[in-house]
Amino acid sequence: MRKWQALIAAVFLFAALFVPLLALTDYTLQILFRVFLFAALGLAWNLVGGYAGQLSLGHAAYFGVGAYGLALFSKVGISPWASVLLGVGLAVISAAMIGKVSFRLRGPYFALCTIAFAEVLRLVAKNLPNVTGGDVGVQVPLLFPHSSIRCFYWSGVLLTSFALALSAWIERSRFGYYLMAIREDQDTALSVGVNAARSKLWALLISAAITGLGGALYASMFLFIVPDQVLPMDISTEIAIVAMLGGAGTLIGPLVGSVVLECAAEIFKNIFKEAHLLIYGVLIVVVVLFMPEGIVGTIVSKLALFKKTPSAPFAAPGRATAEEESQRVAIDK
Amino acid sequence: MVNWFYVPLQAILNGLLTGALYALIGMGMALIFGVMRIVNFAHGAFLMMGMYATYVLFQATGVSPYYQFPLAGVLLFFVGYATYMGLLRPIGGQVDFMVILLTLGVALILTDGAQLVFGADYHQINIPLLSKNIHLGSQISINAPWLVSFGIAMVLACTLYWLVTQTMFGRAARAIAQNPYAAPLMGINVNRVQAIAFGIGSAAAGIAGALLLPVFYLFPDVGSQFTLKAFVLVVLGGMGSIQGAAIAGLVLGVVESLTSLYWGNQWALAVDFVFFILVLSLKPSGIFGSQRA
Repeated sequence: MRKWQALIAAVFLFAALFVPLLALTDYTLQILFRVFLFAALGLAWNLVGGYAGQLSLGHAAYFGVGAYGLALFSKVGISPWASVLLGVGLAVISAAMIGKVSFRLRGPYFALCTIAFAEVLRLVAKNLPNVTGGDVGVQVPLLFPHSSIRCFYWSGVLLTSFALALSAWIERSRFGYYLMAIREDQDTALSVGVNAARSKLWALLISAAITGLGGALYASMFLFIVPDQVLPMDISTEIAIVAMLGGAGTLIGPLVGSVVLECAAEIFKNIFKEAHLLIYGVLIVVVVLFMPEGIVGTIVSKLALFKKTPSAPFAAPGRATAEEESQRVAIDK
Repeated sequence: MVNWFYVPLQAILNGLLTGALYALIGMGMALIFGVMRIVNFAHGAFLMMGMYATYVLFQATGVSPYYQFPLAGVLLFFVGYATYMGLLRPIGGQVDFMVILLTLGVALILTDGAQLVFGADYHQINIPLLSKNIHLGSQISINAPWLVSFGIAMVLACTLYWLVTQTMFGRAARAIAQNPYAAPLMGINVNRVQAIAFGIGSAAAGIAGALLLPVFYLFPDVGSQFTLKAFVLVVLGGMGSIQGAAIAGLVLGVVESLTSLYWGNQWALAVDFVFFILVLSLKPSGIFGSQRA
């Protein structure tokens, strides 16, 4: 199953590299960049939220730190790409501090704690105009010499490929099994000698590095950022939704989730104008009620029914298919 | 002359008046959390619904929100009840992961639904009471609407406390909070009690919204800040303790008011969260709670 997922993803990403050769408008490429950016962010989130089962709703913190890192380090005269690295480093350091405190908590307490940290960062960024420019915003240097959207698109695809390769490797490694053991039952994992605190922290550090890199790319494309754009809770929830919609804890789930969610959001933007987040809400409710394992997770567990030894619990297949069908119809409109 | 005394005193007084509404919001959330272990991300959206319902009714009839707030409560009770029965009960066996996500989805639907129906504009209502101030001595003055809402909120908070500690419903709710597996064996209809608790918690948010309407701006995303505040209150008060959440509401009101006075309004929310993280990391059972988190 995983081999198939990896193969599909590899072919898809390879094909994606050649998309800009088609005569597409900048606007379309910008949307596709967003698809791949959030796929990468979803994959990064998946390490903590999917494999390790820790519901982080504060990934905007690392996204924003990466974005502001690029803006602020280059403001003091450091070259843009060095600033990106410094920003990513800063995101990892902040993840270490946030993780140290929040991983002591479990379940809803952990989720609340990550939200609180991200909100504190947002409010600090808003209220220190001397450092961050506050609500007025701060300029971000361009990362690519030609201000071409293609370069951003390609970097988005590369970031996604990197995140996917890393996830595939982690999924098969000892470290990945530690994370999944922690998700299934932390106490049992501890009892067989898994260092849960260290494993979770490492997962968060890797996740934060990719998220910070994504934040820097995003900021550079807009050339200008304000705290409410790169540090709000909306970013955190969107990242989590992308991963869970596709299937938390599956390899290509976040990729599928990002394609579905971003395309749906784009289509519904024309119908609902500013209220297009409505579709996020509807998608979340539908997925939680009818496909609790996400799109990929549900398909995988259904295919598992045909194996000799079913490895997943029997879901109610009729209901889920009807729901998928109606969703596809809704998107087609 | 005695500014160093009267100015903070005025701030503390204002904080207590705001804090009463926080207490109401926090108690609603604490009731839901205590009985169901559900972190309700839609709490602020319910508050927003209460505000819009009261706004629409005020525009139609002109009756002051201070008379028609029970209607918002009734409406939100049914909304909460329906949300539980329709959405939360079917996924009862799921991990809290899914429940968090579901309430988040409900919040998005309600917020953006309100934006679709009412637009993103800010609304405000004007009632004669707003211009009335009550003076205590020469230095201290209290805005009349805040005093009225303080009174109503306090009465409702006491009612809620009475409901949970003295009635059969409260007994059942506390039994479920103590042990959700043993409670049904004792003949408690867990689904019904949880649905009612969710309804009452939502009604508290809706009434708080109605009471906030005259003194606050109304816009679709008004609720999210109160959702976050309600989390802070529930954690400070000790997870699931409704009297703890009430006290935490008053304390938080005063802390915010003093922060605004000395550091500026923009830091008030940041101080909330720092306070929250400190409590979560140092004493996860909450300042006023005894339960282990």
